[in-house]
Amino acid sequence: MTTLALRQSARKPTARLSARQAWGFILLSPYLLVFLVFVAYPVVYGFWVARNPQSYVNLFHDPIFPRSVVNTLAFLVLGINLKMMVALLLSGFFVQARLWIRWLSLLFILPWAVPSIPTILSVRFMLNPEWGIINQTIFRLTGEDGPNWLNDPTLALMLAILVHIWKSLPFWTLILIAGRLAIPTELYEAAAVDGATKLQQFRYITWPSMQALYLTCTIISMIWTLGDFNSVYLLTGGGPADLTHVLATLGIRYLRLDAVDLSMAAIICALPLVLPLVFIMMKRLSR
Amino acid sequence: MRRCSIALALFAAAISTVLDRSALAQEKLTVWWTKGFYKSEDDALLAAVKKFEQQSGVSVDLSQYPVQDMIPKTVAALDAGTPPDVGFADVYDFQVTGKWAYEGKLGDLSDVLVPIKDKFAPNTIETTYLLNDKAKKRAYYAFPLKQQTMHIQYWIDMLATAGFKETDVPTTWKEYWAFWCDSVQPAYRRKTGTRAYGIGQPMGVDSSDSYYSFLTFVDAYNVRLVGDDGKLLLDAPNVKPGLTGALRDYTSIYTKGCTPPSSTSWKDPDNNVAFHNKTTVMTHNATISIVAKWLDDANNESLPAEQRAQARKNYAEAIRTAGFPKKPDGTPMVYRAAIKTAVVFDQARNKPRAKEFVRFLLQEENLTPYVEGALGRWFPVMTAAQERPFWQEDPHRKAVYDQFKAGTVTFEFTKNYKFTILNNENVWAKAMNRVVNEKVPVETAVDELLARIKTVVE
Repeated sequence: MTTLALRQSARKPTARLSARQAWGFILLSPYLLVFLVFVAYPVVYGFWVARNPQSYVNLFHDPIFPRSVVNTLAFLVLGINLKMMVALLLSGFFVQARLWIRWLSLLFILPWAVPSIPTILSVRFMLNPEWGIINQTIFRLTGEDGPNWLNDPTLALMLAILVHIWKSLPFWTLILIAGRLAIPTELYEAAAVDGATKLQQFRYITWPSMQALYLTCTIISMIWTLGDFNSVYLLTGGGPADLTHVLATLGIRYLRLDAVDLSMAAIICALPLVLPLVFIMMKRLSR
Repeated sequence: MRRCSIALALFAAAISTVLDRSALAQEKLTVWWTKGFYKSEDDALLAAVKKFEQQSGVSVDLSQYPVQDMIPKTVAALDAGTPPDVGFADVYDFQVTGKWAYEGKLGDLSDVLVPIKDKFAPNTIETTYLLNDKAKKRAYYAFPLKQQTMHIQYWIDMLATAGFKETDVPTTWKEYWAFWCDSVQPAYRRKTGTRAYGIGQPMGVDSSDSYYSFLTFVDAYNVRLVGDDGKLLLDAPNVKPGLTGALRDYTSIYTKGCTPPSSTSWKDPDNNVAFHNKTTVMTHNATISIVAKWLDDANNESLPAEQRAQARKNYAEAIRTAGFPKKPDGTPMVYRAAIKTAVVFDQARNKPRAKEFVRFLLQEENLTPYVEGALGRWFPVMTAAQERPFWQEDPHRKAVYDQFKAGTVTFEFTKNYKFTILNNENVWAKAMNRVVNEKVPVETAVDELLARIKTVVE
């Protein structure tokens, strides 16, 4: 082994590529090209546009920016935890092998499967305070105006979170179902023989088996949610009065304000949130 | 040798093809234009473009976008260094033209505009004579196409259903707004059992209607925010009380439930939509696009006869175009006019052809059909066009004509370009929303508004 290693290291590096290496480069080149054009260039360009420190000063002076940071955190803390907990519960329900549950799961997966624009816009139309079906029904039944769903900032943000959960819940439920299916059924059978209740089975078998998966899913979901533009923009448009913007939608607001540098700076400000999550994620995956 | 000759010939052919293509590319003109509110408006633009193509031999690559998308798209294109050659949006003048001129992003059109300067009505072409800080000079960095001012539109039939006649509509300030809010709305709801609102009050941040309407309320209180020299007048004794009165009047309509709850999120077409579907009895609107849409429907051959007949009835009988009531001090309202400006970008790839297009469009025989194609939504900027019989043909257009002829004033941004930044941020709608959404007292919202104006302008 030692001799071979020495022999290899002593070999002079040649300028010419072997045929195998050349093919490797040729086959890689489309990916590299796409990566350079659509990933590396936009990122470098974004940093270049937002290179002026004054952009960050202006950004922090804009009252909408801290509000958007708070909204983003609310989205992450509330939205993701609620979504993952519900997904965990539902995965326990949908994992059952009954025919009607199979059919129900088909319906359940629809919000995730259909495109965002028509679905979220449909919700928006339903919630319109004047002619939306919900408030029309409330008026017909009570003679009173219904809630101002999308024009009350707190309510609108909550609804955006709800839409995000509704839209992505099926996906995470599916992942957790896969996790549950990987747990050997013998463990549950043995626990049942020993007289363990459902809760005890969850506590001592399901949760320990799915803990790692659950955490990984939560981190991935956090990374994705930070870039979730649709749930907020299509539902509230960032309104009323720009009070429901999140970091992902703030960029388009600054573009409207003819401030491209602030637009980029707002996105770069999300990096301290995204990068640690990506780092943790990579560490977990490389274990 | 032969192989080499063939390769050289192929290379030469390829180069000449590329050169040919670039030569052809120079004959293309890229134009971005706001999408009209109805078919006839777009047809008029398309006709003008087609005529230009036939006359010049230039191919026009025309892209039309909804009004709220025009600025983000243009800003992104400017940043990428690929703006269109010519750009027009209904909101450029309010929000960006002055700023872009100051930053040196617009082409100088003086050679096109100076020779025809005398054809324009007062307070029109002057608004395009802008400062370029990069070139350290003033010049015509935009060209005026048409203008607009504020009108009231109401459903005569809804008013009648509520049990009122047009002569019942008060002409004094407080009584006027109270009439629609406290008398018409409850009476109409009682009679019909529907959730109609007395007033359509635009309050959205992403809307020019909201600040146009609000600034009209500010005018009613005789507040001047900026002098003719561009200096701020915020310390004048009547400014704060006037702004407070205007903001209180404007927001109380919302807090009393007299405008649809969604009006805080309305974009420019939304008060039109609410009016068309009879969610509101009355609305103020900075053009007569509402009623003109019905005329467009009436003329639209593709619609069923019944629908066209109803549209004609709406235009001719069911809707009234009127002016604002008297100001709170009892004097008649003086309306502010906004001159709609199009631009040629400094980075335009085909500036000579862009100027040719501007020169073509500003010829009266081309500009007049384009403006009149909007069926009265826009008022001409050229004196001769204003006097055409078109403006006397029906009560709606006559009302527009009368309002303009009574004399108009210009917006703050024509005196100080930094007001375009304030309009773009829509500090006005933000102040409204502070009051109605965040329950901040009106006085505090006005203090914040004044502070923001000072920060941006000074």
